[in-house]
Amino acid sequence: MKKGLQTKLVAIFSIVVLILAGCSDDRSEGETNNSSGENPAESRGNEIVVGITSDPQSWDPIDTFLLDWSSVATSVFEGLVERTLDLELKPGLAEKWEYTDDKTIVFNLRQGVVFHDGEPFNADAVKYTFDRLLGDEGKKGPQYSNYSSIDSVEVNDEYTVTMHLNSTDPVLLTKLSGYGAVIVPPKYIEEKGDDFFNSNPVGTGPFKMTDYKRDQEVILEKNENYWKTGLPKLDKVTFKVIPEASTRLAELQTGKIDVMKRVEVAQAETVKDTDFVELIEVGAPTVYALRFDTAKEPLGDVKVRQAINYAINKEEIISSILNGYAKPISTFQSELSFGNNPNLKPYPYDPEKAKELLKEAGVEEGTALDLFIPGTDGNFKEIAQAVSFYLEEVGLKVNINSVDTTTLTADLIPQGDAGHMYRNGWGGWTLDFDNTAYLMYYEGELWNPSFKDEKVEELLRAQRASVDQKEREEIFMELTELLYELAPEVNLYQAVDLYAANKRLKNFQPPNEDRMRFEEVTVE
Amino acid sequence: MLTYVIRRLLHTILVVFAITFIVFFAIRLTGDPVSVMFGAGEPTKEAIEEITRNLGLDKPLYIQYGLFLKGILTLDFGESFRSGLPVVDLIVEKIGATLVLALGGIVVAILIAFPVGILSAVKRGTSVDFFGRIFSLVGISFPNFWLGIMLILVFAVNLQWLPSSGFDGFSSLILPSITLGMILSGILARLVRSSMLEVMNQQYMSTAKSKGISTWSVIIKHAFRNALLPTVTFLGLQFGSLLGGAVIVEQVFAWPGVGRLIIDAINQRDYPVIQGGVIFLAVVMVVINLLVDISYSIIDPRIKTGKGSH
Repeated sequence: MKKGLQTKLVAIFSIVVLILAGCSDDRSEGETNNSSGENPAESRGNEIVVGITSDPQSWDPIDTFLLDWSSVATSVFEGLVERTLDLELKPGLAEKWEYTDDKTIVFNLRQGVVFHDGEPFNADAVKYTFDRLLGDEGKKGPQYSNYSSIDSVEVNDEYTVTMHLNSTDPVLLTKLSGYGAVIVPPKYIEEKGDDFFNSNPVGTGPFKMTDYKRDQEVILEKNENYWKTGLPKLDKVTFKVIPEASTRLAELQTGKIDVMKRVEVAQAETVKDTDFVELIEVGAPTVYALRFDTAKEPLGDVKVRQAINYAINKEEIISSILNGYAKPISTFQSELSFGNNPNLKPYPYDPEKAKELLKEAGVEEGTALDLFIPGTDGNFKEIAQAVSFYLEEVGLKVNINSVDTTTLTADLIPQGDAGHMYRNGWGGWTLDFDNTAYLMYYEGELWNPSFKDEKVEELLRAQRASVDQKEREEIFMELTELLYELAPEVNLYQAVDLYAANKRLKNFQPPNEDRMRFEEVTVE
Repeated sequence: MLTYVIRRLLHTILVVFAITFIVFFAIRLTGDPVSVMFGAGEPTKEAIEEITRNLGLDKPLYIQYGLFLKGILTLDFGESFRSGLPVVDLIVEKIGATLVLALGGIVVAILIAFPVGILSAVKRGTSVDFFGRIFSLVGISFPNFWLGIMLILVFAVNLQWLPSSGFDGFSSLILPSITLGMILSGILARLVRSSMLEVMNQQYMSTAKSKGISTWSVIIKHAFRNALLPTVTFLGLQFGSLLGGAVIVEQVFAWPGVGRLIIDAINQRDYPVIQGGVIFLAVVMVVINLLVDISYSIIDPRIKTGKGSH
């Protein structure tokens, strides 16, 4: 009897739990549908709240190395050059510039610009910024190396400076639009010290920082003296640091934040189902490939490398495993990158051709290849399994090895210990193939354990020696065709970043490279 | 007595030393922090070498460890790779939030576990007891990560009663405290139940009852008071593990405590912060254990000599 009662109780208890779980699901749908007419964020007025993943940490531009820094700091600091959300270079704090020769640039500075603390922006501020970046203080930080082509900055008069370079640098103008090259206030830093500046940034940007609680929130308020007339349109932008994606989504659904950075692929459907929110997809600079170690047989043979390219169905990987949230690539760069060759199409899926090539190369059926992938990347684990399946179809065996991400990039790859092939992920904010290609294919570079081709190296040197973008583009077209043929990797896809924004926001365009901009944004 | 305390102190120092060793070498096995530092750039070999040198990571490991131990003696855990701030300052800045959360967790655990445990014991063998025990089991089994997200979905997204994250005011403390306290309440309810049962089987309970004192007054005045002793000791010991358990809860609720500091630091291989944070939590744990042991030895003289049962 007693036992019977207990069984019943267990049954009732389980049912209650199930009903409760069911209710909560129903309600979540009901709730989002109910609020179709009601936008919970409406009462906020002319200010917005943005949910970001991590704190900017060091505010000092010469100390930073975080994408999360740029998401916030791009509203506070500006460079001589401005890069728009459409990735075009425009005059920023410099009204115009001119190359007097390949290694000398003269900048005419904008007049009447003031820093947030009232200090005037002028040639001294520019010189101070670069002296600091290239001096002892800057050398300690990760930004220095990006700007080491600059030799010195000379003040001509209050609003003109000359930048002397020690080597040609075709990507320099892009690099002047952000990170280490943003202009900082000399008097403020000298008076208050580097440490103070590190938590209390002052720039010339559209918003000034008025409050900062580390790891919690950053409050930016409108810069009333901003040099672009009529901007910014918002009075206030609050950045809330919410590391957990589920929690960020909850804040978005309840209207506590207006913009959510880093929506996960698994959350995309929920965002789409929420009436007052819009899901925005934007191509990221990051690309992924399976890189071959050409020192390991049989991958020294270009036919084998091409065969593997034909054997893998990249389109299927993008559509099934990544739910379509990725874009195909033909070389190891995104479509956003200067140097991308739009005429090249990814290797088509052709297992028969693959088998043929493998046969020609004399590769025996059942040859085993080691594939190294980072263990933390769940998506990529599935991709690796798909790759293993595709290669088995053409008679190759794949052993997948999951290892720690940092160990893979910092130790195994440079030492040539990452198997026959490994996941190679890459992305930078400059969006120019120069640096990527140099570091990937030039002999002796850290992340190029074994690939070597004289012609590739010659082309790499040639484009770096020129500042004529037309000429460089031609070189890159030749280089990409060559790399496509040599197939040092299987190029898989370009990543896509997902943002979600409350529909009360107008003119919000998410950035390709994390550098969010809000000066044109308005609210309804 | 004094020799016992001294011996325990020496034990503690040994344990802390072992922890420094494990933490220091374990994180260095996970790879190089410098390449993580170039999330926004495309570093050259020279740049990586330069930064490695600046951070002192080019020195042999035993020298790095020696410097690290030397720093600890003067409470200097170095500076964060990311923010450049002293690690001690960062921990001091965050510890308040973590303590508040741990206390919140304990309060929630007490509020849930004591009624459940007492009712279970008093109504032993009935359906009330059965539900009480099921509750304990469920409480212990919940992963707090999952529980936290569920609570957010129900109370923040659907009902919109409480905020889903942040650190402003009492309302933002409620959901994280429940998440943290829930697991503890499961274990605690079992403990309250069993110690209540033990006390209620004692002879003086029958005596009290036979004197005609009402049942509930016997339970509260006599049984509960005596059952309180082991549970309070348990709670003291649990405080340390609550600080540790807060790591996940802080991440879910964007709570600015030591746990999140450590997780962020791990993600970015910020060695000094990981070392400082983990050692801080470990020392709190060890010190609480030490205090409990010493207080036992005062209460129970058999422990003093180390000969008695432990």
